[in-house]
Amino acid sequence: MGPLFNASDEWSFVIALVIGIAFGYLLESAGFSSSRKLAGVFYGYDFVVLQVFFTAAITAAIGLLFFEYFGWIDLSDIWVNRFYTGSAILGGALMGIGFVIGGFCPGTSACASAIGKIDAMLFLGGFIIGVILFDAFYPLYAGFYKAGNQGPVKIYESLGMDREVFLLLFVIVAIASFVATGYIQQKISHKSKKY
Amino acid sequence: MSDTRIIKKRYIFMASVFIGLALLLVILPKKSTSKQLKPEQLLLQINDNNRYVSTDEVARKIIAADSYMQLIDVRSPGEYAEFHLKGAINIPIDSIFNKDEKGNYVYEDILNQDIKTNVFYSNGTVYANQVWILLKRLNYKNNYVMKGGLNRWIETVIRPKRPPVTATVNEMALYNFRKAASMYFGGGSVAAPAEDNTPAPIIKKKAGKEEEEGGC
Repeated sequence: MGPLFNASDEWSFVIALVIGIAFGYLLESAGFSSSRKLAGVFYGYDFVVLQVFFTAAITAAIGLLFFEYFGWIDLSDIWVNRFYTGSAILGGALMGIGFVIGGFCPGTSACASAIGKIDAMLFLGGFIIGVILFDAFYPLYAGFYKAGNQGPVKIYESLGMDREVFLLLFVIVAIASFVATGYIQQKISHKSKKY
Repeated sequence: MSDTRIIKKRYIFMASVFIGLALLLVILPKKSTSKQLKPEQLLLQINDNNRYVSTDEVARKIIAADSYMQLIDVRSPGEYAEFHLKGAINIPIDSIFNKDEKGNYVYEDILNQDIKTNVFYSNGTVYANQVWILLKRLNYKNNYVMKGGLNRWIETVIRPKRPPVTATVNEMALYNFRKAASMYFGGGSVAAPAEDNTPAPIIKKKAGKEEEEGGC
């Protein structure tokens, strides 16, 4: 069985649009258009973000490996982000700070703007200004941005681990984190009820 | 209370499904992830004449010292020692799939890379074509065949025939080029020209081209 569709044909835009709408719809249904819910993961009263993303990750990982097993997908065709050590650390920190302050991440801000949330629209505006500024001053930090390119590294490869064994461990960690965050959430919500 | 218990049961069920599926992936036998070309694709490629490079083109590149072309002589080492094109390395047809002690193909660095253009030749076209097809089956890229092989090389580059007086300007130009090339390559003599015996350059694969970045 070949690929479901060819990335280079004109239908890819239509399919991207359909997938994008489905993604936005699911984000909204999961409550990801609420900045209170999103920021909850940092304050410990709501871990839905972590749970949803972890579930999505393990579902996708298991699905992809099975797809590959049945010969439906060629995993080597899938783009893997390059890992730049410095920019990954700084970018991750900036993203986290922006997430706590703004209450959205880029994807969810678009989702919340679509249902008419003003804070999300402001966030999206800031995000676009940030993109433009980043581009304008790019030469200043191009060196840092590109430094330490480790290529498309995968965690299991750098650990010298079997891919499937790593996935099993990852699933176990995900489930353990669900249990742990459920416990923390219960404690914190009990406490906040007292006030 | 009973409601939370139902949810918990559902969670436990989902968690066991995930762990079960992940365990299944661990247990399932590994499939060989061969990148070989499918037969129908191979057939298409075989019928495509794009793999051929003419002797004139090869001559032109040798004269221009084009370092992006790697000539590969697929004849026996004996024949290679007797005569070979300038800059050609010898990978006999029966040893293209030689493996080292680790089980890797010895010549993979040369035959499967994306920097140089490999051009195979033999005395005719047949053996070079065979090598090309075998490598195509493995989905190796950047491999070409010198059409007509050394026989055509001698006919066209070393001993070019003067075209009739009615020949077009292009034909005359080609003839003049061939005559010049013939002089460059030692005019009409097929006796083994002095060749440098420098070892074959080992071409390292480029570490992944830079592509556009994706994001969240």
